[in-house]
Amino acid sequence: MTDNQSPHKAIEVGDGAAIPHKSDSGLFTAWRIAFFGAIALCLFLAFGRSDQYMAIFKFVPDGILVTFKVTLGSILLAIVVGLIAGLGRISTNRFINGLASLYVEVIRGIPLLVQLFYIYYALGRFVKIPDMVSAIIAMAVCYGAYMGEIFRAGIQSIPKGQMEAALSLGMSRGQAMRQVILPQAFKVVLPPIGNEFIALLKDSSLVSILAVSDLLRRGREYASETFSYFETYTVIALIYLVMTLFFSKLIGIMEERLNDGR
Amino acid sequence: MTADNRPMIEVSGVCKYFGSFQALDDISFSVRDGEKVVIIGPSGSGKSTILRSINRLETIDRGKIIVDGMDVSNPKVDICKVREEVGMVFQSFNLFPHKTVLENLTLAQIVVRKRDRQEAEKIAMELLHKVGIAEKAAAYPAKLSGGQQQRVAIARSLAMNPKAILFDEPTSALDPEMIGEVLDVMKTLAREGMTMVVVTHEMGFAREVADRVIFMDHGRIVEEGTPEHFFTNPTHERAKLFLSQIL
Ligand SMILES: Nc1ncnc2c1ncn2[C@@H]1O[C@H](COP(=O)(O)OP(=O)(O)OP(=O)(O)O)[C@@H](O)[C@H]1O
Ligand SMILES: [Mg+2]
Repeated sequence: MTDNQSPHKAIEVGDGAAIPHKSDSGLFTAWRIAFFGAIALCLFLAFGRSDQYMAIFKFVPDGILVTFKVTLGSILLAIVVGLIAGLGRISTNRFINGLASLYVEVIRGIPLLVQLFYIYYALGRFVKIPDMVSAIIAMAVCYGAYMGEIFRAGIQSIPKGQMEAALSLGMSRGQAMRQVILPQAFKVVLPPIGNEFIALLKDSSLVSILAVSDLLRRGREYASETFSYFETYTVIALIYLVMTLFFSKLIGIMEERLNDGR
Repeated sequence: MTADNRPMIEVSGVCKYFGSFQALDDISFSVRDGEKVVIIGPSGSGKSTILRSINRLETIDRGKIIVDGMDVSNPKVDICKVREEVGMVFQSFNLFPHKTVLENLTLAQIVVRKRDRQEAEKIAMELLHKVGIAEKAAAYPAKLSGGQQQRVAIARSLAMNPKAILFDEPTSALDPEMIGEVLDVMKTLAREGMTMVVVTHEMGFAREVADRVIFMDHGRIVEEGTPEHFFTNPTHERAKLFLSQIL
């Protein structure tokens, strides 16, 4: 009952996308080699002997923008969905709690690609909205479940005494949540959310199967016209690699700043 | 004013179970306006539980608790209203680590008492002066010593202008050299007439400040009386044993 006011426990959620820390020198070096290697390779290909690669580099950038839009839109919406799901999962109201848990379990039990198809076509059946919006909603619904677990763990990592102190000052549960718990939980969930962002950036390539012209789809379009599959996918892979490495780094730096702050 | 006719806190016949374990067994006592009551007893005797029941951090299974005329045991009563009037100070301070000392004091004033920021800050600074750490107003709690943190926690509670304050072992988590500074603040409050219910192992404080001492054991009140009576001439064996161990 007497929670020590220890610094927040680190939580370990998230999968795949590892963000290299300065302390992890092995990964850090690997990051540099991969990042600058990929950029060098891009330059070499683009300005090399054959014009073929330059043509690809000129064709695909529209797709990069779409990939960003989908990723950013999905992550923002997924954070909202995840916050609601996370709060639902810790709710003492059995109905709300059950509903949130059901959502998380169902989503986690179905492959992302299947869900994407399902939600995309289900939406298409009832409402008329742009393809990209459908894709974003579908991605957010999927990622919201994982995000919900991150928020739940983040909120639960805040010592119980914080809620009790807020309540005993006369705050309502909602006020205590908003003013005291969530601001602290947010710092805890930022690293795993960063991981989710990277994972989502990669998974956003799945929307190319729907009628969304993201980076991968632009590549496919180009490749099927020119039949230069190998060259095109080399470029596509390199661009994804540069993007993920870049954002991993950015998030890593943001995180360090945050920890230095206090 | 509640004066002498109506007690500030009235606890009657309270029972509390954790599962099948009975933590409180028919607890009854009352605290008049301005009175200082010290609760002592061995670990696990239910001291925290009864204290936390007074502002419904724990719900009780039987009995009744009335605070300033409001029925805490009635689920329909808006507990926030009760908590506005009854401060609580915890063993582990529980300051908000993401807020500065000043913000710790102003937060509830603003969101609960609906004071504007300027007024809240003025009150906060006065209280920080009072507990002797005005110079730390802009610091974050992590930068403060335990004694300083606890004094901030007391000031935070005072900022709500409570009618009573509950203290749950406020000095137990402190290094010995910091206990004095916190007890001094509490003694000042006592002199100013604050209604206080204090769970503590500081027998010197109990002797000096308490109007009444309640001794608990196994979820029951075993002995209740003036410090005079309790420390010099306890009637029950358990109380005698406890005193011989702790003094
Ligand atoms: N949330 C809980 N769940 C189950 N048992 C609990 C819970 N809180 C307290 N108890 C039990 O109730 C009994 C009374 O606890 P309480 O914290 O009130 O004791 P205390 O007198 O404050 O002791 P201490 O001096 O150690 O703080 C203890 O046996 C404790 O284990
Ligand atoms: Mg206790």
